[in-house]
Amino acid sequence: MAPSKKKHAKNQACVIPGGFTVLSLQFSSDSAARHSLYVKEHRVRAERSSHRPLDRTLFVLNIPPYCSEDVVKDLFSQFGSVQSVELRDHPGSSQESGPKLSKFFKPAEKQGFKVGYVVFQISSSLPAVKSHPHDVPLVVCTEHRPVKTGLQKWIQQYTNSFIQPEQLQQKVDSFMEDYDKRKEEEAERQKKEAEEEQEDEEGWVKVTRGHKGTKARPHSEAANQRTLQREITKKKRKELLNFYTWQHRNTQKEHIAELRKKFEEDKQRIALLRAQRKFRPY
Amino acid sequence: MSGSGAPIRRLFVQPILVKTIGPAQREKRANHRHVSLTLGTCESGMKGKSKADHAGEEVVYHPVKLSRNDLYRPPTAEELNQLKEAESLFHCSLLKMQMEELLKEVALSERRKRQIDSFIQTVTKLIQTVPDSPEVEVSDLSWLSGAVKVPFLLVPKTTKGKFHMAPPSSIDLIGSYPLGTCTKPNVMVDLAVTIPNDVLHPKDVLNQRYPRKRALYLAGLAQHLASSSDIGTMQYSCLHGNRLRPVLLLTPPGKDSSSFTLRVHACPAPGFFKPSRFHPQRNNIRTEWYTGLQTSEPPTPHYNSSVLGDLLPRAHLQFLSAVSSQCSAFTDGVALLKVWLRQRELDQGTGCFNGFLASMLLAYLLITHRISNSMTAYQLLRNALNFLASTDLTVNGISLAKDPDSTPSISEFHDAFQVVFVDPSGHLNMCADITACTYKQLQHEASLSMQFWDNPTVDGFQCLLMTPKPMIRTSDHVFQLCELVKLQSSCKKLNLLSELMDHSGDYIHTALPFILSLLQQGLSQRIHLLTHSLSPDPKWSVESEAPKHKAQPPLSFGLLLRAELSSTVLDRGPPADSPKAAEFRQLWGPRSELRRFQDGDITEAVLWHGESICQKRLVPKQIITHLLQLHADIPESCVRYVGAMVDDVIKTGSEVSGTGEEESLVVVQSYDDLSRKLWRLEGLPLTITAVQGAHPALRYTQVKPLALTRKLYSFFDREKTSRSLVPKEGKPCPVYITPITVICHMEGSGKWPHDRLAIQHIRAAFHIQLGELLRKHHNYTCRPCPTHLDVWKDGLVFRIQVAYHREPQVLRESLTAEGLLVVRDNDEAQALEMATIHKPLLTSTLHGLQQQHPCFGAACRLVKRWLSAQLFSDDITEDTADLLVASLFLQPAPFTAPSSPQVAFLRFLHLLSSFDWRNNPLIVNLNNQLTEIKNGFMATRESLPVMFIATPKDKKLSMWTKRSPSIQMLQRVIMVAAESLKVLEHQLIDGSQKQDVRVILRPPLEAYDVVIHLNPKQVPLLDQAVDPPAITFSRGVMSGSAAQPGGPLPVIDYNPVSLYLGELREAFGDLALFFCDPCGGTVITVLWKPKAFIPTPFKTSQVSARSVEVTGDETKTVPNVEAILEDFRIMGKGLVKSVEARTEKWSF
Repeated sequence: MAPSKKKHAKNQACVIPGGFTVLSLQFSSDSAARHSLYVKEHRVRAERSSHRPLDRTLFVLNIPPYCSEDVVKDLFSQFGSVQSVELRDHPGSSQESGPKLSKFFKPAEKQGFKVGYVVFQISSSLPAVKSHPHDVPLVVCTEHRPVKTGLQKWIQQYTNSFIQPEQLQQKVDSFMEDYDKRKEEEAERQKKEAEEEQEDEEGWVKVTRGHKGTKARPHSEAANQRTLQREITKKKRKELLNFYTWQHRNTQKEHIAELRKKFEEDKQRIALLRAQRKFRPY
Repeated sequence: MSGSGAPIRRLFVQPILVKTIGPAQREKRANHRHVSLTLGTCESGMKGKSKADHAGEEVVYHPVKLSRNDLYRPPTAEELNQLKEAESLFHCSLLKMQMEELLKEVALSERRKRQIDSFIQTVTKLIQTVPDSPEVEVSDLSWLSGAVKVPFLLVPKTTKGKFHMAPPSSIDLIGSYPLGTCTKPNVMVDLAVTIPNDVLHPKDVLNQRYPRKRALYLAGLAQHLASSSDIGTMQYSCLHGNRLRPVLLLTPPGKDSSSFTLRVHACPAPGFFKPSRFHPQRNNIRTEWYTGLQTSEPPTPHYNSSVLGDLLPRAHLQFLSAVSSQCSAFTDGVALLKVWLRQRELDQGTGCFNGFLASMLLAYLLITHRISNSMTAYQLLRNALNFLASTDLTVNGISLAKDPDSTPSISEFHDAFQVVFVDPSGHLNMCADITACTYKQLQHEASLSMQFWDNPTVDGFQCLLMTPKPMIRTSDHVFQLCELVKLQSSCKKLNLLSELMDHSGDYIHTALPFILSLLQQGLSQRIHLLTHSLSPDPKWSVESEAPKHKAQPPLSFGLLLRAELSSTVLDRGPPADSPKAAEFRQLWGPRSELRRFQDGDITEAVLWHGESICQKRLVPKQIITHLLQLHADIPESCVRYVGAMVDDVIKTGSEVSGTGEEESLVVVQSYDDLSRKLWRLEGLPLTITAVQGAHPALRYTQVKPLALTRKLYSFFDREKTSRSLVPKEGKPCPVYITPITVICHMEGSGKWPHDRLAIQHIRAAFHIQLGELLRKHHNYTCRPCPTHLDVWKDGLVFRIQVAYHREPQVLRESLTAEGLLVVRDNDEAQALEMATIHKPLLTSTLHGLQQQHPCFGAACRLVKRWLSAQLFSDDITEDTADLLVASLFLQPAPFTAPSSPQVAFLRFLHLLSSFDWRNNPLIVNLNNQLTEIKNGFMATRESLPVMFIATPKDKKLSMWTKRSPSIQMLQRVIMVAAESLKVLEHQLIDGSQKQDVRVILRPPLEAYDVVIHLNPKQVPLLDQAVDPPAITFSRGVMSGSAAQPGGPLPVIDYNPVSLYLGELREAFGDLALFFCDPCGGTVITVLWKPKAFIPTPFKTSQVSARSVEVTGDETKTVPNVEAILEDFRIMGKGLVKSVEARTEKWSF
């Protein structure tokens, strides 16, 4: 199942169409089967983020679930010292905005196959990776770098899940302090804007184009809907339904039409059931 | 799951293997029983693709679109009538159409009728040529060749009279076929052959002379017909199990042989015997002849009516034809009534309410003007059921007689028979053989049908006419009398010798009414209804002797329990000095004792044994065996009680064997205590507005209720800082402690922030504070986390989650670029609502249901045990399963709400396998708040979940089944349920089979691609496994009383199996499906998705666990199976014992 070994001589890098280099990876030295990592220099023009410099970042596909960021960092250190490693579920631009969350409040990570961005310290490490021979596998778990899986890992996870209430309280407090500060700033800003809209001594009002200007109409979608609904009901209430003869006739007509429609529906349902032989009592 | 179409279909094609290996001989694997499944109904049911579909006809529901012209054109008078009729007569015109379709299905086709007519002609011709034979004594059988036996039990051996064969004086069609009320299946055509007058003698009424001659005449006919090649098979039988009325069954030759049966009766000429001789108080069997003793001559009503019955069939046919010709819907009405009776197993066997009685009943209603001639079949059925429900024929018999003066009076009939319905001649009671119990059952069924007929949330047609009601699924408890020969001695014990003579030696049906009334008396308040099976008509070949009475299959009795009274352990009798005390003592014998009660009364009482609820449920069994032993000499070994055989599966292994109700109760009590304490907490910045449980354990439906635990400290590592225990490497996995979720709603206030992250933090702060308060006031060990607070209390762990009612709303809100506030539904908000609103609500509603129906919890646990054992627990979640079971209790039609877990389980399997999930929503009418929703459902069917469950709070979405099951899994569930039901019912009914109800809990593993065997040492719930494990491991608990408050936290919610399963699904979920029995299963089965194995072009988003193959310019990826299998081992290190790849299976 390994990628067409015949085509590539020993001790040679294996490059597949699309520009990816195939590196093989095995869990430990006595493992029989190997996964393939697909690596390529990171090249996304739109992305200008500083933590993924274009010339020094390696884009790695298909990282098995038991490789944590530290392990990946260690694995690639043989090609040059690694500055940072970022593992993600899907390729794509990074960094959600918002306040920084403590580790207790981060949503649980998915433990599947990952995509990695390995940033080296010098750009010459990239060619080193890409020329790594295909048949020399990277080994995840070695003697001086044991990787815990299975029971050991779960017990460790369980042990790590304990949180000191004091620490947690501290984190909560600091977050809320931060939050309150942001809220206050926000309020301050709004207050300032409101002040600006006040008349000055000469009776002038400064009008700005900000979101304040839309205040006259309802400010949320739900409110919009509600106003619309109110209009409709108002209109409906005014209508006379059973006043004229033609209206009366119409209601009767509608009634028969409805009966007909129900009849047809039932007939169709029966046809369906008959086709499925649903009428055999035994 | 969307891409998994093929693999599971592949699963279905595999024969399902059900293992019948007992735990003791599990090593001997030679003993498999293979039960192959038939495909078809399930597939067609779910996919809307029936056999017709394959013929090219597309059967899919399209929303009806009528053009404007069609809808609004002026109606014709005829159409108006039709529409009006449909509207006014039936609450839904659908029911009318459904009944019409049903009638088409049961009616005989023209082709079949032609076949029958031609066969009748051949047989008639053959019979007319029967040769004469010389006259001999009745007891002289030498004229018969040895090949044909006489269909009669000759006891006593001889009787007087002479007999010779002669061609019949006439041959007529009688019964349902000439009347047009003959229906499929089991088409039976009755042919009356009149015995010529010179063969009989007017005095033959006496001493079984006539019945013996009738039997001889039939034997003569059989001998004559045996030589003919125009007859397919020839068998003897007897009419409704009455041995005095043997009949000859003929089938046509060739492939039509099973399509209909011709039943040949031999009868005397009409009016040959004087009807007045058969007065129910006259004696026609002399005691001297029968027993050899000279005593009084008791009346022989049953003998009389069976002879009289032979005289009248032609008259009855004439009468019914006259009635039928006046009422156009008569035949259809009878057909519907027959279907209704047949679904309730009332139309066949000894003492049945057969089609003939059904037509007579309708005739009675027509003659007495209770129904009019112009009514439709639907109305006939309805009125007939209404009449049955409201009229008790055991007290007020009815009569069709025109001149009642010259015939026996109704009261005379009542003295002789239990149920009275007199025929047009006025001499014959047509219900002579029916027991009072059978009639009560009929009444019960009729009134039940009337109850749900008009209920719009019930599919009336399905319940009324389409659902079979076998006894094992209808009655809460069923027991069987196995060795019927023992009833002979009961007849002696009950002193029934003259009745035995009246029944001509049929000791079973002699003793039956007395046994029934005995049981009725003993069970009195505990049951709603006592029913019994109607013994099927015996059939035997013409070459063998008539079978003895004891050859009948076991007699089954069904009990419909009164839930609230059935399991009381005390039967309190009258005060010791009252005159009724003697009667009470006589009934209960030595079990009755004088007892003094707390209110000072001293009364007779019987105390039954029963400590746990499970034992108490079996109190009826104790009563039955005691009474039968005491009064009828039937030993306990003959009584096979199938009331609680399946309950074994959920039995807990503690000192007092129980099924977990007690443990559940302890959990609920502990929770109540906690919630009270939470309410009383002071010092919180906001008050608590609601404390709600959201865990199956709090609605009594957790498969294995939690046992209170005490820890063995040496078994664990200690985590010093947080005072908690931690599992130790190298030791077996510690016992699994489920955290019981409790939702704690906090008061809404302006202090709550309007931001999702801030709310999360505030919640965490609440958890810390709650934990602190609980520790301070009640000394509970607590562990606060951002998402929850674990509280260690009374040996249980409660997981308290603080909730804020506006949080889902906050999660849904977002600001657009223009600053407009939009509300958009999302998964996160839905999940939160599910956890904090819907689950607690469901839990409290189902908790209430448990209070109404005490066996609800046990039923749920049985059901969930089955689902998990069959590896379905991920597809049909616990909540879904509970809802499905709830529907059985809330909408039991056509049954009554189950009062034993076993019957609920059987009905659950039946519901799963027979419900038309495609065309119908399953309505779970919690709190009775729902009305019709069907029409909207059909219009949007395609976009709704395949298993649609509607509840009052959730009519449109079916939120519990939104994610699972998928259509393929549902199909498989349906299939396995049907097979399990078949195997289980068979085992329960048939006592001669090997009794191992766990058969249905052993899933077939043959169908899966990879089987991962787990190390039992690390499976924490091993002791819940289907077959109890051979070795048990110490899991760090001590038996004994509950733990003291305080102390370090135990290991909570640590289950390596589920952790492993979660990791596997996250890593390989798009390549394979993983199945596991969460209750102690030691295997994880894997099924590849074939779609994942189709080589796909190289894409950066789709390379997980795949290897690349380069062919020229193309780069394709396929799953790297070797590496994946190795990953299974690596990821489950320590847990996985071996990975067994059935490699031959994944060559796609």
